[in-house]
Order: sequence, then structure tokens, then C-alpha cells
Amino acid sequence: MRKIIALIFISSLVLSVSCKKKKEEEEEQKDDFNKSELLVNYSSNIIIPSYQDHLVKLDSLVASQQRFILNKSITTLTDMRQKFVDAYLSFQNVSAFEFGPAETALYRSNSNTFPCDTPQINSNISSGSYDLNAAANMDAKGFPALDYLLYGKNRTDQQIVDLYTTDINATTRTNYLTQVISSQRSSASTILQTWNNSYKSTFDASTSSDIGSSIGLLINQLNQDLEISKNYRIGVPLGKKTLGVILPDKCEAYYSKKSLELVKKNILTCERIYFGNSLSGASGKGFDDYLDFLNAQYNGVSLNSAITNQFNVVKTKLNAVPETLDNSIVSNYAAVDAAYIEVQRLVVLLKADMPSALGIVITYQDTDGD
Amino acid sequence: MIEKIKKSLFSEVSIAPLVVFRIAFGALMFLSTLRFILKGWVYDLYIKPAHYFPFYGFEWVKPLPEFWTYTLFAIMLIASLFIMFGLFYHLSSLFFFAAFTYVELIDKTNYLNHYYFVSLVSFLIIFLPLAKAYSLDNLLFKRKAIEKVSNAWIWVIKSQVLIVYFFAGIAKLNYDWLIEALPLKIWLPAQSDMPIVGGALDELWLAYFFSWFGCIYDLFIPFFLVRRKTVFWAYFFVVIFHVATRILFNIGMFPFIMIALTVIFFPESFHKRLLSFLPKRKSIEGASTYLISLPLKRMLKYGFVVFIVVQLILPFRYALYPGKLFWTEQGFRFSWRVMLMEKAGTSFFYVQDKSTGKEIEISNCDYLTAFQEKMMSTQPDMILQYAKIIKSDYEKKGMKNIIVRADSYVTLNGSGSRRFVRNDVDLASIEDGFSNKDWILDFNE
Repeated sequence: MRKIIALIFISSLVLSVSCKKKKEEEEEQKDDFNKSELLVNYSSNIIIPSYQDHLVKLDSLVASQQRFILNKSITTLTDMRQKFVDAYLSFQNVSAFEFGPAETALYRSNSNTFPCDTPQINSNISSGSYDLNAAANMDAKGFPALDYLLYGKNRTDQQIVDLYTTDINATTRTNYLTQVISSQRSSASTILQTWNNSYKSTFDASTSSDIGSSIGLLINQLNQDLEISKNYRIGVPLGKKTLGVILPDKCEAYYSKKSLELVKKNILTCERIYFGNSLSGASGKGFDDYLDFLNAQYNGVSLNSAITNQFNVVKTKLNAVPETLDNSIVSNYAAVDAAYIEVQRLVVLLKADMPSALGIVITYQDTDGD
Repeated sequence: MIEKIKKSLFSEVSIAPLVVFRIAFGALMFLSTLRFILKGWVYDLYIKPAHYFPFYGFEWVKPLPEFWTYTLFAIMLIASLFIMFGLFYHLSSLFFFAAFTYVELIDKTNYLNHYYFVSLVSFLIIFLPLAKAYSLDNLLFKRKAIEKVSNAWIWVIKSQVLIVYFFAGIAKLNYDWLIEALPLKIWLPAQSDMPIVGGALDELWLAYFFSWFGCIYDLFIPFFLVRRKTVFWAYFFVVIFHVATRILFNIGMFPFIMIALTVIFFPESFHKRLLSFLPKRKSIEGASTYLISLPLKRMLKYGFVVFIVVQLILPFRYALYPGKLFWTEQGFRFSWRVMLMEKAGTSFFYVQDKSTGKEIEISNCDYLTAFQEKMMSTQPDMILQYAKIIKSDYEKKGMKNIIVRADSYVTLNGSGSRRFVRNDVDLASIEDGFSNKDWILDFNE
């Protein structure tokens, strides 16, 4: 009996070695998928440049705000608004990277908890004493607060300028604006520094497929960001959480009316991250390549083509929504709802199919052993 | 033949294998519990969640307040140490079994076959004479050490271990595992960054090799473990197999538990040698055979038979249900189906006002932890429980005339996600039970 077992063991070893040899000869060309190259592409070509770009946009915003303070006029206000929109759009490029330094800074929720709490903002301004880091001010700062501070509700440009010149709270309002912008800039700058100084090497080295690995974090946060688009950028204003009662004023960037542009930007960013493409669109090793390497399937087609196709469907549906988003929710509900449904389909593909195909472990707990 | 088996089964043998088993089990349970606490899982799994998923028929098992939850784990720690030292042995094993099993019954999210195994073994050992030698009980109560026991006691434990392996093997006899090498074909390449062996894990042949090796191993290792001539060879494979799975997968203490407990199959001389390292009491003369009263013996005998027979039947109950077992998971648990499938899902739940048809979409994270959400999305009975959780919450908020429905999508072994349950039924009004869940859609629809 002992001999038989030994025989089975040795023959299986021999078999496996010979199989390997044969396989190697057949597929000498085919390389193993190098996860470290994938991660380096994400950190070097996508994440760090996105933060750099974001910081450049925030610097411009700071500069425009300083020009505004020196000379408060419609011209400087318009300039500052343009820089604000640029910075907000550049935020959509980094919002999906809420791990490592960004997670420490709670950058996503500190920057973009919307809708903003306008009574809280106004009371901060009129009292003149507030701590922007306090939990109560989470929705009284960041881009949503700037959106309100720079555009206001139903106010002419001159009326906005007046709020910073002749209004009784003009000084404290100006200070508030300055602080919101500078705290935004400083946390973005800290995040970029940490990426450059230490986190990049941590990120690049974590090549496993566990929940805390870089690939796990990227996918998890990509999904979170996409779900923010589904639930909050579109769903809540569309009445998805309120028995169909629409809430157009809960749109992201409601005061500047840039909601549709921002959600489109967010979807494009998710798509770019999926493909591993840089800000300029240069293609790199991404999840599409990884899925293709693994030959992942989706009900008869490749999973990559299913995801690629669904991104296109979502973009088409979003492009079919007329400006502005809050108006369309009122007057063109069906078009917005169609986009919502397609984003939901995309969520299923990215949240269930992709991690499953990549064998991403989603829990720290033990799994069933054998 | 039967006579021979009967004779061997009730022959008198050394108590040594039982003592070694007791010490190993106690020590491993102590370490496992300590590890669980130190990893912060008591909080993550039993304190943090706002809602829980009790097992059908065990809805009375409730999560305890933080203090009492930690008390349960403290009981497990102390009881496992007492088991190891053989102190208040029967009471300690009863406490360990009760505390451990209570915790496992709180939330099926955390169900693992190896937790089920621990519950079974800890129940079993309450009735076994594992502390009749080398125990503090003997010292404390000034009892003589027992030297001989009936071989049947040892076989009760052995049969429990054999059942695990054999049924794990039977469960692997399916198309996906053997012909498609799934889910290993998905899981192994995910580990391709591992040092040394990593490069080979992308290779397709390896997934097939592991699938077939695992299946043959599980099915046949019992036969080699029970033969004295082959047990050492078999144990060599036990170690290889479990070490390999420990390296490749995130399966915690289970491999160590199996490696340690399988030692029970070694001949008694081996166990005696192990025990010779322990301090021994002098008054060994007068050591005797373990005997129990006839009525008790008869009761235990039938008890063990029922215990084993139930376990032999349970894994086959799935055959009473239509549909694909891995998809519907009807009759899936308590059957040693381990590492058999890669399943993931996403589900969207809606509260619908019956009179207007208007809906509220639920954010699952308002109710469940990420881990609970993941588990719920692919397990139909949990989907029902979750629908009821949502319904009762909205009823508390004052909405009475409501139904709860779900859009859910699941992918199984890389099939691609497809609709999992009917999206037009009120899940909150469906009672869970042993009858077929006809609201689960067909896998191939």
C-alpha cells in the first residue's frame, strides 16, 4: 500500500513537471500578468498626476480669490468662479482614490458632502466663530460650500459682489471664503506630499488580492465613487429615496448649475480608471487588460467588452439629458431615470462581476477552509 | 468480518490517544479564540452590526450586550484551558460547547464549516472520557488514572474526522470542480504575486491539478488514515495538503486544527511516547479500565449512532430541492462544502408603498456591514431576513402599507451576473422554511 501511495505521489509530480514543460513550450510568448506594472501605472501615471493637476487647479483658485479680495468686482468674481469650476472638475479625477493619505484626510467627505448646509454656513458667517474641522461643519465647507458662496441662490452677479463688499457680514464672509479655499488647498497638498514621500512605494508593493491590497482598495473605492454618482448625484434628486418626490435642489453643484458636467466627468473618470488611462488619455495597463488576461466571461461575451459597452451606454444616456440636471429632473424625468438605470447596471458589473473574476478577497475574516 | 470489526471496536486499548486529543483540542481552541479576540473580530462581527441573521429555528438566539459578548469569549478562553488541563473536564467542555455554539448561532453571515466542525467536536467530547488520565481532575479528586478504555471511544472521534474529509470529497464531485477547475481557476491566478510559487499559479494545469488532487485526497485519505500500515504516509499528505491550502487561501486556524487532530489515527504507541514527556504521577499501580454503567453505556451508544447517522444524511438533503445547488444554496450548509464556489452579488432593495406604487431605494450600508451585505446578496434565506429587517424599520417609521422587493444580481464561478430572485414579489411577506424557494430564478434562465 505504501508503495502505491508513493507511486501516485511521484507520478503526479512527474506529470505536473512534464505538463509545465509542455505548456511553457507552447506559450513561450505569453507573459504572466504583472500586477506590479498595473499598480505602477495607476500610481505614477494616473493617481499622482491627478493630484498634481488638482493642486494646480486649487492654486489657481487661491490666486483668483486673492485677486478678488484686492478688487471685488464682477470681473474678478467671474474669474474666480471659472477657477472654482476647474478645481471642482479636477476633484472628480481624484475622488475615487479615497484610500491611504486621502482616507486619512477623509478627503472625499470633507471636500464634497452635498447638498451643503446653507443655514450652517450663514450662521458660521454671521457669528464669525467656527471650526471648519468640526463634524458639524462637514457640509459647510468644501466645493459645495464654495458653490453656494460664489453663486448664491437666485442672486445677480452684482448682488454676490455686494455680499463681499457692502453687506453687514462682508468681512466675515470674505474670511470664510478664504478659509474654505485654503483648507481645501492644504489638505490636497498634504495628500500629494504623502503619496510622493512614502505612500507610493507602499501602494506599488502591495500586489496581493486581499481586501487591504492596492488592487482591492482601487476597486472598492472606484465602486464607492460610482455609487455616489448613482445614489447622490442622480438618485436622491430624482426622488429614489423619497417615494418618487423629486428634490432637484439636492443636486451636486446646484447653485452653479454644473451638476451634469460634474457627473459626466465622474463617469468618464471611472471609465479612465477602469482602462488604466492617464489624464491625457494615454493608455496603460488597467483592469481591462487584467480581465482580458484572465479571460473573464460575462454571459457569453468577455467581461471586459460587457463593461466597456456599459460605460458607453451610460455616457450615451447622460449625453441625452439636456442641461441643466435639476431642470431635467423636473421636465425630463424619463431621460434622467434612463441614465440612472444604466449606472445601476454598471454598478453590478463593477461591484459583483469584476472583483469576483479577479478573485479579490473582500473580507478580513477567515474564509471556509478545506 | 462484522464479528472482527465488532471485536476490534470494543476491545480495550490505551487511553493515550484520547488524552493527546484533549490536550491538542484545548490548546487549539484557546489559541483560536485568542486570535479571534485579538483581531478585533468580536467587535466587528458581534457588536458593531445593527442587525443579525439568526439561523432558521434559532431566532431566539440574540446578540448580547458588549460586556456579555466578551464574557462569552472569556468563558471560551477559560473553558478551553480547563479542557487542556483536564480540570472540571465535563463541565468545561459543556461550557465551551455552549458558548461557542451560541456565538455561531447569532449570525449566519459568519458561518464556516470549520466552526460547525468545532461545535460538533466540542459537543461530542462532553461525553467522552478524555480526562481520565493526565488530568488535574484526577489530582484534585484524588482519583486513579485510567489506563485502558474501549476502542469505541476513540472511534467516535475518528468517525467525526472521517466524515469531514469524505463529504468534502463527495462535494467536489461536480462538473465545475472537476471539468472546469472552478473556482480554483479564478482563485489561483489571484495569488500570482506570491513569492517562489506565484509565477506558476497563473498556469491552467495547476488549477486542474489542485482540483483533482484535492478531490482524490478528500475521498481517499480516510481509507489510508484508518490503516495502521498507511497512517504515517497518509499523515504526510495531510500536512502537505493543509499547509498548501493555508499558504494559498485565507482560511485561518482550520488547517492547524485538522493537522493536530488527525494525529488521533496514529497507533497508541505513538501517543504513549508523546505523553511520556509529561510529568507523571507515581501511583500508577492500580490503574484500571474505564467502565460505565450499563444504562449510561446504552444511552451513549444510541446517542452516538444518531449523531453520526444524522451527519451522514444531512449533506444529501439538497437532493430534495430542484435547481442548481450552488445557485439556490438550498441544503448547502452543514455539508462540508468548502471552497467550492466563487459567488458574488449586488442587490438593490426597495420599499414600495402599496397604494401608490411609489418606492424608496434602500442604502444597504444603513443596515448592514459590508461583510453582511456581501453574504446576504448571494444567500436567499438571508435576502428574506433582510427584507423583514427593512420592513420592520419602515413600519416603525410609520409606513404601514408596504412591500419590500429586490433587484439582485449574482455571478457564480465566473458565469457573469444574472438576476437572482424575482423582482416582483414582496420578500418581506415570504416565510422562510424548508419548502422550496420558488422565487429564486433559474440559473440558466
